Amino acid sequence: MSLIEAKAAEGHIEVKNFALSYETIDGSVAAVSDTQIHVKPGEFVSIVGPSGCGKSTLLNAVAGFLKPTAGTVTVDGEEVKGPSAERGMVFQQYSLFPWKTVRENVEFGLKMRGMERSRRERAARTLLGIAGLEAFEKHYPERLSGGMKQRVGIVRALATGPKVLLLDEPFGALDAQTRVIMQQILTNMWQRLKISVLFVTHDIDEAIFLSDRVYCMTARPGSIKAEIPIPLERPRQQSMMMSSEFLGLRRGLMSLIREESLKAMGGEITDLGMQGLNIELNGHSLADVL
Amino acid sequence: MSSSPALARHPSERETSAIMTESASTVEPVQSPVTIGVLAARWFRLNKGRMRAALIGVLSLVAFLIVWHLLTKYRVVFFVRFTNVPSPLAVYASFTKAIHDPKFLMHILLSCRRIIFGFSLATLVAVPLGLVMGRFKLIHEMVFPVSEVLRPIPAIAWVPMAIMLWPTNEQSIVFITFLGSFFPILVNTLHGMVLVDPVLVRAARCLGARESSIFREVYFPASLPHIFTGLTVGMGVAWVSLIAAEMISGQYGIGYFTWEAYSLVQYADIALGMIAIGVLGLTSSLLIRSAGRLAMPWGRT
Repeated sequence: MSLIEAKAAEGHIEVKNFALSYETIDGSVAAVSDTQIHVKPGEFVSIVGPSGCGKSTLLNAVAGFLKPTAGTVTVDGEEVKGPSAERGMVFQQYSLFPWKTVRENVEFGLKMRGMERSRRERAARTLLGIAGLEAFEKHYPERLSGGMKQRVGIVRALATGPKVLLLDEPFGALDAQTRVIMQQILTNMWQRLKISVLFVTHDIDEAIFLSDRVYCMTARPGSIKAEIPIPLERPRQQSMMMSSEFLGLRRGLMSLIREESLKAMGGEITDLGMQGLNIELNGHSLADVL
Repeated sequence: MSSSPALARHPSERETSAIMTESASTVEPVQSPVTIGVLAARWFRLNKGRMRAALIGVLSLVAFLIVWHLLTKYRVVFFVRFTNVPSPLAVYASFTKAIHDPKFLMHILLSCRRIIFGFSLATLVAVPLGLVMGRFKLIHEMVFPVSEVLRPIPAIAWVPMAIMLWPTNEQSIVFITFLGSFFPILVNTLHGMVLVDPVLVRAARCLGARESSIFREVYFPASLPHIFTGLTVGMGVAWVSLIAAEMISGQYGIGYFTWEAYSLVQYADIALGMIAIGVLGLTSSLLIRSAGRLAMPWGRT
């Protein structure tokens, strides 16, 4: 069972002086600027922020899909040069291979590593068993529900025994009930594997419920606006989401994000402005009233 | 398992796995006591639509034959002239004669051989070329303009050129068949490559896949549905091109047979040749479709 053994002091993510910009016809556009984040070995860290703030960009740079324009991304002191099986990734669009069965999907990383068929089959079965999916090993992904697909996605990313797990809004496409179950499954697996997790989401409750620490990003160009430790005890239970501690954290994060979302939308909407939107026409044409 | 610290059971785990198994079990169909009668009733209920379609299909074919029979029996002339058109019974008579005639079978076999050679060659060249063009920009930029210039030329227009290019008549006909199926297969393969979901490629990279593995494990299977669309269309065009080429320059083949029947005033054989071509085309497209189903078991349940 060396596959899913605890990686004691591995998986230290360090992002320093990070900036990333795109070249367009109008010059370069900064997506992320001047960002430092880190994830300690075995830590669960989330990044939240308004949409378009570059949180996925940051995650993709850690995965090795994007090269930073400035700064460095290292994992255990080694610079990230490209995607690798050391950094498992789960995508919002389930991204299972439709032509492979559930088990073949989970085996994929092991196959790429050159593991022989019988060994990787056994390993995949064990992992699927842990995720409660052994009954579906021969199914094609098309026949699975969204929640099951994403469970397979997580198991597949963990199968190669990565140092870190990167998740890009993995539950964004799921309904609220499935989402909650998936959050529990994820924390459960994380606690067993002691793997470092970097989790991107726009759902504040999700970020607080899952994380040890939450980074809140500013509107585009994104940078870190605040770093909030989550002192809630583990294991986390659903009931904690009603606790005053949780609600306090939620309120704090909410106002941080709200500020940034408003900035992203092009400025604060004042009370007066809101009243202005409530135009009484009283039979006049819009032009007359204005 | 339990000896590994990583797998130590967590207090909250029982609860979670209970949730997991519960959500899993709902997918399985509900089991109830099954008898043959129940099974038959269930089968009937599930296949009612399909049986209805089959029944209507048979009825409309019969209606077609009856209309054909009446039109030829009364030699109807109403803009179109059915004076010399053979009746279904005459065609059937010439069919029973033809299946004992080795010459007729030879025509069919020769046409099939030309299709097999031309179409297989087109598949062997067009599919890899399309895959490589979809993956490597330079090759796409080099090959695409040439293919775009040649593509609109119908295969039949190549007949004189083919006769000049190839030493034997047989080779030039196979070449025409090849050309007919080549472009549909190439274009569809290329289209399939363009539509490969980039997230799947990224997922494969994250799992440690190298370029050659990504090609084999992601690009190729992802393009397969479009490749098979190309093969189906290509097979259709291959027959069109073959028949035309045989009518123009052939000495054998089912297309030649049909044209010869006209020259020899054997009108029943014209219809027989046409029906034979239709049946051959239908059979080959069915073959491709079932090959596609075998190659892509994930497509349908």
